[in-house]
Amino acid sequence: MSEYALTDERELHATWKPATGLLGWLSETGHKPIGLRYIVTAMCFFGAAGLEAALMRLQLSRPNNTLLGPDTYNQLFTMHGTTMMFLFAVPVMEGMAIYLVPLMVGTRNVAFPRLNAYGYFVYLFGGIFIYTMFALGAGADAGWFAYVPLSGPGFSPGKRVDTWSQMITFTELSALVVAIEITVTAFKQRAPGMSLNRIPLFVWSMIVTSFMILFAMPSVMLGSGFLALDRLVATHFFNQSEGGDTILYQHLFWFFGHPEVYIIFIPALGFISMILSAFTGRKVFGYPVMVSSLVFTGFMAFGLWVHHMFATGLPQLGESFFTAASIVISIPTGVQIFCWIATLWTGRLVIRTPLLYVLGFFIVFIIGGLSGVMIASVPLDLQLHDTFFIVAHLHYVLIGGAVFPLFGAFHFWFPKWTGRMFSERMGRLSFWLLLIGFNVTFFPMHLLGLMGMPRRVYTYGAQMGWTALNQLASAGAVFIVASIVIMLTNFFVSRRSGEPAGNNPWNADSLEWSTASPPPPYNFLHIPVVSGANALWDAAPDQPFVTGMRTHRREVLVTKTLDAEPDHREEIPGATIVPFFLALTTTVALWGAIFFAWWFTVGTLLSVIVLLFWFWPKREDVEEHLENERKFTLERGGEVPT
Amino acid sequence: MTTRVLDVSDLPMETADSRALLWWGNVGMLAIEGTMFAMLIATWLYLKTANFDWPPQSVPLPPVLWPSIALGLLVVSALFMYLLADRGAVKDDLNSIRVGHAVCAAIGVAFLVIRWKNMTELGFKWSDHAYGSVIWTILGMHTFHMLAATGETISLLVYESVWPVTKKQLLDIRCTCVYWYFVVISWIPFYFIVYVAPYYVRKG
Repeated sequence: MSEYALTDERELHATWKPATGLLGWLSETGHKPIGLRYIVTAMCFFGAAGLEAALMRLQLSRPNNTLLGPDTYNQLFTMHGTTMMFLFAVPVMEGMAIYLVPLMVGTRNVAFPRLNAYGYFVYLFGGIFIYTMFALGAGADAGWFAYVPLSGPGFSPGKRVDTWSQMITFTELSALVVAIEITVTAFKQRAPGMSLNRIPLFVWSMIVTSFMILFAMPSVMLGSGFLALDRLVATHFFNQSEGGDTILYQHLFWFFGHPEVYIIFIPALGFISMILSAFTGRKVFGYPVMVSSLVFTGFMAFGLWVHHMFATGLPQLGESFFTAASIVISIPTGVQIFCWIATLWTGRLVIRTPLLYVLGFFIVFIIGGLSGVMIASVPLDLQLHDTFFIVAHLHYVLIGGAVFPLFGAFHFWFPKWTGRMFSERMGRLSFWLLLIGFNVTFFPMHLLGLMGMPRRVYTYGAQMGWTALNQLASAGAVFIVASIVIMLTNFFVSRRSGEPAGNNPWNADSLEWSTASPPPPYNFLHIPVVSGANALWDAAPDQPFVTGMRTHRREVLVTKTLDAEPDHREEIPGATIVPFFLALTTTVALWGAIFFAWWFTVGTLLSVIVLLFWFWPKREDVEEHLENERKFTLERGGEVPT
Repeated sequence: MTTRVLDVSDLPMETADSRALLWWGNVGMLAIEGTMFAMLIATWLYLKTANFDWPPQSVPLPPVLWPSIALGLLVVSALFMYLLADRGAVKDDLNSIRVGHAVCAAIGVAFLVIRWKNMTELGFKWSDHAYGSVIWTILGMHTFHMLAATGETISLLVYESVWPVTKKQLLDIRCTCVYWYFVVISWIPFYFIVYVAPYYVRKG
């Protein structure tokens, strides 16, 4: 057996070995490098957006401050929100999923590796696009949701809003391809034995998220597409005087925008479950309830969008319905929180940095959830609409609900990514600084909102009495910056000089911990066989594994959706530069279109040419396939036509 | 201790049916496109309720004959796609596939020609009013999909005439069939919106 494994490994390695050099970098299709690229790129955008926030806090730290003018301030808050939502929060969760889902389900790569590479480059180019335009003085300035008529051709001439609407197309394109890969990988490529009721909770959370992306993102692509058409070719979707409707834009935007919040939040729920089971040493309490809550949240998230539009004067019956729905959605989240509390209560706690971040999540997110229940009621919402109370609420929900678990997840999987442990002391320090800094920054904003301070104003008068709380908030931001700097330093230093981590430093239960840290390009020498919901804890001492996969081809095992019985083997594509070129031609189409509509046609035609290269197979591959099919038929006593 | 293994070397390599990865990816893409189309129809309905004058009085009633012929052609093409290309791929019958693709490519081109004629004869532009905007977007998006489906069919026809066809290509062929059905089926509600609804929904 060992001899077989040895030869196996050498050829497997040669087949899956990543290409080197610049060309190799551009041709990479492995899920781990691409996942890490998503994460690093998203963190760079997080840094940029954080800098924008820091500038805004500096501006608001004194009344009548003249550090920034109103025009710069408009661009800053728009770029901050846009970057955080579209270039940080969604892509970073996708990056985590691209890295982790194939490992957790026990396969060698995502279902569509070339599409995966394409998605990354489209995302990268979209980000470069909007920041280049920002640097050239055409930074988007109509808020991260770009409401019409402000963002329409009448009130926002120039290219600023166009950059925003095209950036949406870039990032949504990338999100959509990731959603498809993750869904197919999780449904069709699970290790034998991993039936639906044994899927790790993070993978479940990504399945729900992916389905939400499939049905939510088209809406915003259409909405921002209509906006672009109104601005570029003079359609009238949102032009009230020609039969258009401004509220239509809000419906299209929020039908995406509310699920978006959950698209960011649900992966974080998955992180929490994984971290909790590792640091309590027991399986998460109530697995079926947890999964149904995730699915229920996914469905309910599509029924709440109007609560962002209470101030638009919709019919009262409609508003009541959406109030009720907004309150109902706190039920599945509440159920999950109680399940986690039960897990914590009955487990043996090991308090390490990842767990601290999860505990921080509980505090911060519950405050955000409570202020959410407050503004779900129409009368209070009308009072607080467009004030700093909303700013406080959304940061409590998004930073508490997504960023705290995300940073916990960074620490949790850091040993897997790098093979090294991080410094626990620095980890704890960054956690406490973030927890304190976050609350000092954002809690006063509740009070400012109650006192009537509107959001998105570049300054305020000293007589308003908002100075002290604003200064407090600005001071808190210093702690947040310090925390992030320490966290990143910790990662950079530990990456080189941390203690070796071994395969499973946390004694965790999911499959990614059974392979080396960092995992080899093919993930597992042998595809594992799973016999319980906690794959590693439930494994027998002589747990079987899969043999008989071809090693001279990049092959994955396809299993049945419900019970993951082995079904067939499929070869998936290796390294290729074609996705990079397709992303370039996509960029020509989208970037060019804001200057001259025909560029869209040019880019599309170029893309068609690239796609022919994408689809046309290599002669020798086709011949090997034919040969294999012939052999396969003969072995089963069939007849081969000559 | 003995080693227990699960040997999968007997399992088939590649399948050309709904068990394959690509088949699922294709369905996912159609879910996205379908949602997009549904939102487009929702936009039309929303704007209809928001306007008393819908379609605006300046919009002439559309001709029905050629669009209906085109719809009929499209539905017939789906039958050819199913019976010749799709069934042909299941039976690994290359001749049947080629005939199916040739017929569908021809119908696709004919449909696009009629579509072009209909678009030039609409009697209003996208920049005239919101009704014009939404109708032109519907036509534009469907035409784009029809172009893609026809282009794909022609590419496959070229491929299967010059290069060997394996299970992988049979899968491509079947996925293209599914895409073709999608483009045909999605045109049915759009046809009613563009060519039939104006006769019934105009108030006063």
